[in-house]
Amino acid sequence: MSTELLLELSGVTAGYGKMPVLHGVSIKCHRGEIVTLLGANGVGKTTTLRTILGQLKPRDGEIKFNGADITRLPPHKTAALGVAHSPEGRNIFGNLTVIENLRAGAHLLKTRKELKEHLDRVYSMFPRLKERRTQIAGSLSGGEQQMLAMGRALMSNPRLMLLDEPSLGLAPQLVKLVADTLTEVNRTGTSVLLVEQNARLALEISRYGYVMEKGAIALEGNAKELGANEQVKKVYLGIA
Amino acid sequence: MTYFIQQMLNGVCWGSILGMLGAGYTMTFGIIGLVNFAHGEIFMAGAFAAYFALHVAGLPFGVAALLGILGAIAIGLLVERIAFRPVRGSGMITLFITSFAASIGIRTLFVMLFTDRAKPFSMPAFLKGAYLIGDLFIFKKTIAVVIVLVVVGALLMYLVKKTKTGIAMRAMSYDSETAQSMGINTEKIIIITFIIASALAGVAAIMWGVSYGRIRSSMGMMPVVDAFIASVIGGLGNVFGAIVGGLILGIGETLFVAYLPPELIGLRTLFVWIVLFIIIIVKPSGLFRANVK
Repeated sequence: MSTELLLELSGVTAGYGKMPVLHGVSIKCHRGEIVTLLGANGVGKTTTLRTILGQLKPRDGEIKFNGADITRLPPHKTAALGVAHSPEGRNIFGNLTVIENLRAGAHLLKTRKELKEHLDRVYSMFPRLKERRTQIAGSLSGGEQQMLAMGRALMSNPRLMLLDEPSLGLAPQLVKLVADTLTEVNRTGTSVLLVEQNARLALEISRYGYVMEKGAIALEGNAKELGANEQVKKVYLGIA
Repeated sequence: MTYFIQQMLNGVCWGSILGMLGAGYTMTFGIIGLVNFAHGEIFMAGAFAAYFALHVAGLPFGVAALLGILGAIAIGLLVERIAFRPVRGSGMITLFITSFAASIGIRTLFVMLFTDRAKPFSMPAFLKGAYLIGDLFIFKKTIAVVIVLVVVGALLMYLVKKTKTGIAMRAMSYDSETAQSMGINTEKIIIITFIIASALAGVAAIMWGVSYGRIRSSMGMMPVVDAFIASVIGGLGNVFGAIVGGLILGIGETLFVAYLPPELIGLRTLFVWIVLFIIIIVKPSGLFRANVK
């Protein structure tokens, strides 16, 4: 297991308007890891991802990616460094076709060859997307949109993928597809920071986890340890 | 019957100009998310730039046309810098006001400098005259205008549908925040959009000058309304839609005026509003797929 640090948040405080949502959040993600961020609705998991991306500027603290300071970097520059995002609610471009969405995700690629290679890879992971490639994305089902959001994030062959609630609203076989895809993607070198309410799923595929409460990290540890933790079991895994 | 076809042709000419104006208008609408009132003045500035090149500097028509387009681009970039960028992210009302102020400001400046009197815009020799088929006059300038619309329209469609920039523009129109996280530099795309939209307004200005032979400082005032309505008809942010919308408006308006009894001629401006009303009632999202959420 590589211990090279890919992403590091140190004491990040951020929010909208007067009240901060995040209070001194510190998270580490190493190269080749799947790290999960667990927590109930509204604790600040999505805000954390948005702050990493640069959609929100932190008031305090530091964010480093591959050693470079990305704390105040605008989103398009953070993306150019190799960070991809599959947002909560998918946020696919409903006015574009499936293939146009994927091409949008490939915006940073330089050659047609790369574009074709990455497209083929995404199509092999999600054959359904290939079938529906000329369909307007807005007319896809929820599960297909999730596949598209993930596929779109993968088009740039990112170093780090930020995923926000990929299993939300999906049927069980699609949840499995998401999990399998993440594992596969991780195997080929992409690190993942996964925000999930489905704690069981997240802990199954992650190596390390953080549990957030009220905008701060309440608990962290190996996925296995977290899974065995009594608090976690009761609150997030529904095991009394 | 001949009268009808003759008016149809005039309508196609006017509709092509409106289509060109509407295409640029809808592009900015899609990207910035609001009406650019100053689009009419960008159009007018392009006409004036070409006019000066033609009549004051005595340059050949081709060069003058190019300078007209460049003039429009220059004013367009100025509008972006002064009226849009400083208030980026502000509410609708603020953007409405700055856009409106830019429009009035530029128009007033031109009126002060050049008066609102009509200035002649001479046609190049090869566009003068018409083909006579029976009783029908097919003006060479009408043919030229339609050819320009088709060629520019095709290039525009290619840009918008097939290129990386075009996809980025459309993605941004729909969801600019998510587009940024794909590495799309939204500031850069906004500038590119303004350049293209202004260039289209410049082309429309040349088409106008050639078709009607005169320009004036206030020439952008009414056409910009038509451009807005054409955009709504076509589906906001949809360039093809705006071109079709422009043609519908141009042909419709010309035929409406052609068949209106003389005593009702004052109602001519009512036509476009009737069309807008119908579209909003029947298909408010426009005839084609909009690019905004």
